[in-house]
Amino acid sequence: MRIFHKTNFNFIGFRKIAYGFSLILLASGLLSLALKGLNYGIDFRGGSEVLIRFEKNIDVSDVRAVLDEAGISGSLKQYGLDRSFLFSTVFNGETNELKALVSNAFNARLRSNPYEIVRIDAVGPSIASDLKWSALKALVASLIAILLYVGIRFEIKFATAGVIAIFHDILSVLGLFSLMGGIFDFMPLEMDQSIIAAFLTIAGYSITDTVVVYDRIRERIRGQKPADYERIFNESMNQTLSRTIITSGTVLLSVFVLFIFAGPAIRGFAFAVFCGILIGTYSSIFVAAPLVYDWLRLSKTPVHLRGSKAA
Amino acid sequence: MKNKRFNLLLIALVTIVAVWSLWPTWRDYSLTRVLNSYRSAPDSLKFALSHREELENARKKSLKLGLDLRGGMHLVMEVDQIDLFEQKAWNKDAKFTEIMNTVRTKASKSDASVLDLIVAEFKIENIRLSRYFYDIRNSDREIITKLEKESEDALTRAKEIIRNRIDQYGVAEPVITSQGSRKLIIELPGVSDQNRVRNLLKGTAKLEFRLLRDPEVLVRTLDRINTALVQNGAAPPTVVSDSSAKVAALPGVPAEGGHVAPVAPVASAPPAAAQKSTKPLYDVIGVSENGTAYTAEASKEYVLSLFKRSDIQALLPLDAELVLAAKPDVGPNGEKLYTVYLVKKTPELTGGVITEAKATFGSQGVQPEVTMSMNSEGTSKWARITGANIGKRIAIVLDGAVYSAPVVQSKIPGGNSVINGIESLEEAKDLEIVLKAGALPAPVRIMEERTVGPSLGADYIRAGMLSLSWSFLAVSVFMLLYYKKAGIAADIALVLNILVVLSVLAGFSASLSLPGIAGIVLTIGMAVDANVLIYERIREEIDAGKGLTSSIELGYDRAFSSILDSHVTTMVAAFLLYTYGIGPIQGFALTLMIGTAASLFTSIVVTKEIFSFLLGRNLLSEKSFG
Repeated sequence: MRIFHKTNFNFIGFRKIAYGFSLILLASGLLSLALKGLNYGIDFRGGSEVLIRFEKNIDVSDVRAVLDEAGISGSLKQYGLDRSFLFSTVFNGETNELKALVSNAFNARLRSNPYEIVRIDAVGPSIASDLKWSALKALVASLIAILLYVGIRFEIKFATAGVIAIFHDILSVLGLFSLMGGIFDFMPLEMDQSIIAAFLTIAGYSITDTVVVYDRIRERIRGQKPADYERIFNESMNQTLSRTIITSGTVLLSVFVLFIFAGPAIRGFAFAVFCGILIGTYSSIFVAAPLVYDWLRLSKTPVHLRGSKAA
Repeated sequence: MKNKRFNLLLIALVTIVAVWSLWPTWRDYSLTRVLNSYRSAPDSLKFALSHREELENARKKSLKLGLDLRGGMHLVMEVDQIDLFEQKAWNKDAKFTEIMNTVRTKASKSDASVLDLIVAEFKIENIRLSRYFYDIRNSDREIITKLEKESEDALTRAKEIIRNRIDQYGVAEPVITSQGSRKLIIELPGVSDQNRVRNLLKGTAKLEFRLLRDPEVLVRTLDRINTALVQNGAAPPTVVSDSSAKVAALPGVPAEGGHVAPVAPVASAPPAAAQKSTKPLYDVIGVSENGTAYTAEASKEYVLSLFKRSDIQALLPLDAELVLAAKPDVGPNGEKLYTVYLVKKTPELTGGVITEAKATFGSQGVQPEVTMSMNSEGTSKWARITGANIGKRIAIVLDGAVYSAPVVQSKIPGGNSVINGIESLEEAKDLEIVLKAGALPAPVRIMEERTVGPSLGADYIRAGMLSLSWSFLAVSVFMLLYYKKAGIAADIALVLNILVVLSVLAGFSASLSLPGIAGIVLTIGMAVDANVLIYERIREEIDAGKGLTSSIELGYDRAFSSILDSHVTTMVAAFLLYTYGIGPIQGFALTLMIGTAASLFTSIVVTKEIFSFLLGRNLLSEKSFG
């Protein structure tokens, strides 16, 4: 079976439209980040969370009414779609107190519907800020490491464009999280540790497709005149189009399975990785390589790439 | 040729090691299944006894499940460094207390290290650290180094003590690690009584024997405090209104038992009125005719906060401290009353001399108590103390609360003492554990706690297994459809890859968590990428008219650089995630790292050997690559 066999798209020609599209994507994400902000989970904001599962169907407003009546302040949300509710409130190191309060409320007022407290998390504010910092450190360190590695393996313009593309991917996903956060019951899209894991996975993987394209360009650009660069870039991208799409496709397939089967705890992560890889595939063709092309075109000097085998 | 033999040997070796390392997991799983299949308990017991050694071995070496999958408790505790440094200081005065209080408020708001905050605060006040710490001749730098060492030692000791407590309590496979200079991460799988464990870990277990001051002194002191409170009723208004607001809110909050705490007669006037009342202290503390003072449960918090105030402490006699009883007595109307004690600040003896503790029932056989024996030094000291104080009362204080304050009847020569006033045997047992394990160098606080119930864990396992099998199925079927015969090679490599990941986890006793499973699922998608790159290249070479053998050769050769680059970048990201991440995220990063590294081997070396085997038997054609 072959898809995308012997294609002949003028990717470089489309690049202005792609730049525009990317800018709109980023701008709307950033705008939403500025206006609406992100939905932080307790990992990053600190607090306590109780996950309650009922045996019979119950409406979220009924559960909320019971908790309100008992005078326990906090917010209640549907968690996943299986009669589970997530109750979040301010941090309290004594989770037994919180547990007692919640169970007393339900024991007194919801006798007919047995429930179980299946999970309690409490994250102190200092831990939350530690987590935030280490997440940021990990992200920045990985971007620098990738910049250095690709810089050594190819050339600094290629590396910079690749890292810009990663930035583009992560920012877009962040924007999507802000835009769509809190809209869906089955995925609250909260920023927590797992989303940081998703971002690092995206950072590590987004460059994969880019490297495949770069590798082909490196192979073909040797000894060519800058005037031929447009043709070479286009041909390289068309020749690698099939593998770019299939490699992303297999990963998307597994991430999709995660999204469907792995439950609410992993859903936000799976969503982030799915979008990230989708955008990453787009950006390696429409952002990374065209950026390198424009840069080379403006600098008007033939590029010398490392690693291209001397004839 | 030599190279080829080496590759085959390597593949065989990897496969054997992977299967060997996963074998106990399989045995554990199948034996447990047999065990659970017996209907009656005696049958399964008989099977367990006859297969005991095998079961134990298998269980010890099998792949461990993470806390989230088997249920349990994850705790992050922090050693209170401020308290620790306060202990290390000498000739403490009001200035020192003031500085430390400032540091305490600052530390609760910032991430900066406590030591840095202290140093900064001392600099602002222009006081040398040596005024309070160590030797007057020490420079600030020397003292900082010493205090740093002190806090590291404290963490190590706290870790050991907590490990002792957990071991004595009996938790299977606890994991206790220290992080940074003041945090302990404690993972307790399968803990059911979380409340008890939490109390067991949290208590400092600082045991002190302290002389009680005479009742008249207590009464006089309370009078003095009351007068002071009347005089400057609004002097520290923020504190009073703050804490009284808390107390006023208390009765509305159902206590743990589910009932609203009874409001005792002494506290019937709400403490909020303390500012106007003529006897603000006696609104919350009652004094009986024989000179014992007590406070009701509802005002306990407020009274404790009063005792901590420095202006109140200044009113106490020299070297004295007000403390409350650990357990309430039941008053005439069934209300819970806590006795107020005035004790000497300097303990006569501390828990360090305790060598043995045992939970038993008292002489009447109903009241649980803990008997303790002391080492020789403690024994002689205890004999001297009791001998010199016959007729006086000595309070047994644990973590700042008085358990009992018996009157010394005679000199105790044998180094024995007893803690009574304990509610249940369970509590007595826990006291025994903490006393035996020793006192923590400084109080610890729970900074993070995550508890997963076993039923959620079972759900997670089911979800994880579903994702694993569906993603494997989807990806392997896709490879077969898209690349035909070559897809088989990729699928074999994929199976080996998953085996390697699981066996490495089992071999290094790392545990598999839900994020870890997500990492494997992701690996499934990424591992075949190398094959996709190779096969696409081979197709290209075949299309260019090259022969099959040389196409395969070229395909592997030329795809290698992009495979390497993409693997390296993914591994770098996973490695950083592992380094900076915490807990579950590390599990994800770990499986992703192992999976990516393994796929370099499985997707390249293994598939290539498969092709050369097939080529040798003429089982491969240009059509085999789809």
